[in-house]
Amino acid sequence: MRTKFQLMAALMAVVFGAVACSQGASTGAAPSAAGSPQRGGQLIVLKDNSFDGSWPTGLDPATNATGGANIAQMAAIYGGLFQLTANDDGSGAKVVPHQAESFQMLDGGKTLKIKIRSGITFSDGTPLDAEAVRFNIQRNMDSTCTCRPIWQLAKNGITTEGTDTVVLRFMVPTASAVNNFPIANVNWIASPAALKKMGPDKFRLTPVGAGPFKVVSNRLSSELVLERNPTYFKQGLPYLDRLTFKAIGGDQAAYQALLAGQADAFEGMTTTPLLDQATKNDKLTVTVQPPTSPYVVQLNTKIAPFNNEKARQAIYYATDFNAIARGVFKNKFPVSQTFTAPGGLFHHPQGVPGYRGYNLAEAKRLVQEVGGITVTLGTLADYVARQVNIALQTQWRQAGINVKIEDYQLNRLVQTFNGGKWQAMLQTAGAWDPAAGVGVAFRFASTSPFTGVKDDHLDGLLNRAAAEVDPAARDKLYAEAGKYISDKAYAPFGLAFAPANLAVKGVHGPGLTTKIPPLVVNSGILWDQVWRDK
Amino acid sequence: MTEAIARRPGYRSTWTQVFRSPAARLVVKRLLLAIPITLGVTILTFWVINLIPGNPAQALLGPEATPDQIRAMEIQLGLDRPAHERYLDWLGGAVTGDLGTSLVSGQAVAPQLTERLAVTGELILLALVGALALAVPVALRAAHRPNGLFDRMTTIVNVTGLSVANYVLALLLVLVFSVTLGALPAIGFVPLSESIGGNLTSLILPATALGFPLLCVYTRFLRADLVDQMQGQDYVVTAQAKGIEPWKVLVRHALRNSSFGLIALVGLNLGTLIGVTVIIEQIFALPGIGQLLLQAINARDVVVIQAVVVVFAVVTVLANLAADLLQAILDPRIRYGDR
Repeated sequence: MRTKFQLMAALMAVVFGAVACSQGASTGAAPSAAGSPQRGGQLIVLKDNSFDGSWPTGLDPATNATGGANIAQMAAIYGGLFQLTANDDGSGAKVVPHQAESFQMLDGGKTLKIKIRSGITFSDGTPLDAEAVRFNIQRNMDSTCTCRPIWQLAKNGITTEGTDTVVLRFMVPTASAVNNFPIANVNWIASPAALKKMGPDKFRLTPVGAGPFKVVSNRLSSELVLERNPTYFKQGLPYLDRLTFKAIGGDQAAYQALLAGQADAFEGMTTTPLLDQATKNDKLTVTVQPPTSPYVVQLNTKIAPFNNEKARQAIYYATDFNAIARGVFKNKFPVSQTFTAPGGLFHHPQGVPGYRGYNLAEAKRLVQEVGGITVTLGTLADYVARQVNIALQTQWRQAGINVKIEDYQLNRLVQTFNGGKWQAMLQTAGAWDPAAGVGVAFRFASTSPFTGVKDDHLDGLLNRAAAEVDPAARDKLYAEAGKYISDKAYAPFGLAFAPANLAVKGVHGPGLTTKIPPLVVNSGILWDQVWRDK
Repeated sequence: MTEAIARRPGYRSTWTQVFRSPAARLVVKRLLLAIPITLGVTILTFWVINLIPGNPAQALLGPEATPDQIRAMEIQLGLDRPAHERYLDWLGGAVTGDLGTSLVSGQAVAPQLTERLAVTGELILLALVGALALAVPVALRAAHRPNGLFDRMTTIVNVTGLSVANYVLALLLVLVFSVTLGALPAIGFVPLSESIGGNLTSLILPATALGFPLLCVYTRFLRADLVDQMQGQDYVVTAQAKGIEPWKVLVRHALRNSSFGLIALVGLNLGTLIGVTVIIEQIFALPGIGQLLLQAINARDVVVIQAVVVVFAVVTVLANLAADLLQAILDPRIRYGDR
């Protein structure tokens, strides 16, 4: 359905272009100087009902199976032990303690001690202390959500020291553990007392946290109404009295609802023609987030034709992502040569030494040398991915490669990966921290079901990078891994795409109208600091 | 006295008369027929959903889920049990009014359906009533002078209306009435209990997007039938020979006969209309049954899908039954079993 609406949105964007353009022009893309925050008011935030506007299993961190998509709702209710913050332009992003006061990584990355701020209470009045955090982390680690961190905890690896310190002990060094928090369900601490009192079925509908807002009503995957939490631990925050999340059917409907004044913000717009219109509209502030996960053409090295390194090299030479970025996306998104992107850690804009760039003659020569290449290039049915796939098909055909493109709905995509017979897949790879969440290992580790590579050397590099405590050493290891992937021609990287947030003028907030690198797909908006002009 | 009358040979009580009337037999027959239809629909739905690749666990967990995570979720959702067991369990509950518990949300389905059916029901009712209320006078006016200016203009509007998809019309309506004029809300629903005015205002655009193509269909259909009646039927010639004004012949006689087809069409349309609400509710962010169905399909929540499909099936059967009864009221031949 998301695809249908995206296609529709693109079509309607063209139809309505003239109307929208006539409403004035502005430089909506840049975050505005917001002035002094004002207290009060309410905000209606639209969410795409095929992604982050869908919370069918409720909002209990331990049972919300779509927690990775529902970061906004979860953060508004629970706050979080840690937050990802950044300068207004998205630079200097770092994970900082929030409900946690501080942390220590000990034993070479095998022990993490988290000290909890004193005096924090849940909105039901019970204390958010070390025992509550231990209870939640233990409970959330058993969740089926993919937002559960993949940590190898030691036996009885979650303990407390006093009333304010939680200790996590890992079997192997897990240096990226803290960076994992903002995108993981262990970050969201629910009230154990409320859970016990209500029972899990009621709790998932009206959960109780210690975040800036508390639940007024919750109609699953439709509307979540929140109001200010009067016992919130940060003095004077949140600014807003009320925050409502409303699910809507796609970018076009959301865009028009914003223009009609029916809503105040929309997270995660991906339809680029609409984005063009929105940036020219003086009613809106458009914030394109700094990308963290570039597109990658995964090549299945386990079967023909890409079990032949020369065939893989031909794909590298036949691929011109700069032309796609320029021609299809008007240079809105940068091009990357590895699994990092400008918004994430360990990114080097100068690229990867020795990376095989576009060279049509060399591509044609290699195609002839291997006796021709016939390939099916797949992707998830998504507006941007499909545009990129069509462009790739055109480019590869110029090199004499016979290309069939396919786009899959989620289930088909997973089945195709699991079947192991796929040849090439356009996907995204990486994360803000390559070792956290859906990071680089997801696409390249031999043990992942979604990889086309089985290479012990690469596994070793990625594991060592994830375990390394020293950031400089991690940087070096990731650079080495990026170069190794390039040298072995495992997968050409490309466009680093990130969705945009739209807000009506007069609404301000970190991650909403300023840049914060996306956590999974959308940025982690700091809801307690969102405010609007009176 | 009453007892004496009741003992007379050949006497039938009022109730007996009612139950033995052709109309009552029609109702009973249709209601009995609804049982196997509904049962068949649920079996088919369950079977089809189980044939679709993927399962709720996969749909919920997304592409990043590992096989172990999917397996754990399948156990959590009870999907490790055989399909026929799950169906029979569901059916056992459904016949007692318990439509089960959502696999995904863990919430009882019946209250959700009741709440959302009110929204969708009101939307469909407004669309239907609006379409019929406009279609009848427009068709009458067009049929009064076939191929006249009004008739030709109506034809152009109708053809245009039939060519535009509901979702395009919805977006256009929002663009004009919400974005440009700021006259009507683009999204959201106000319950009747909160504000009657607000409720109607919130449904004007969705109901128009849903109802306008219906208006075009009904107008074309009724106009064609009216013209046909007026041009060749004996009773029309008789009425005209009596000197009754053409307008009166059209309204009092031809319309009554032409309405049979229209009523049947409305009954048949209802099933399609429920399907269209799925898209309309997405665009206008209405918390109706269509939105619930879409969420359930995305999550492969078979319990919710089953429940919604049953409701759709029952509503469609009842709507067709209502159409038949209405025809029986209008046509004595049906009422007295002559037809």
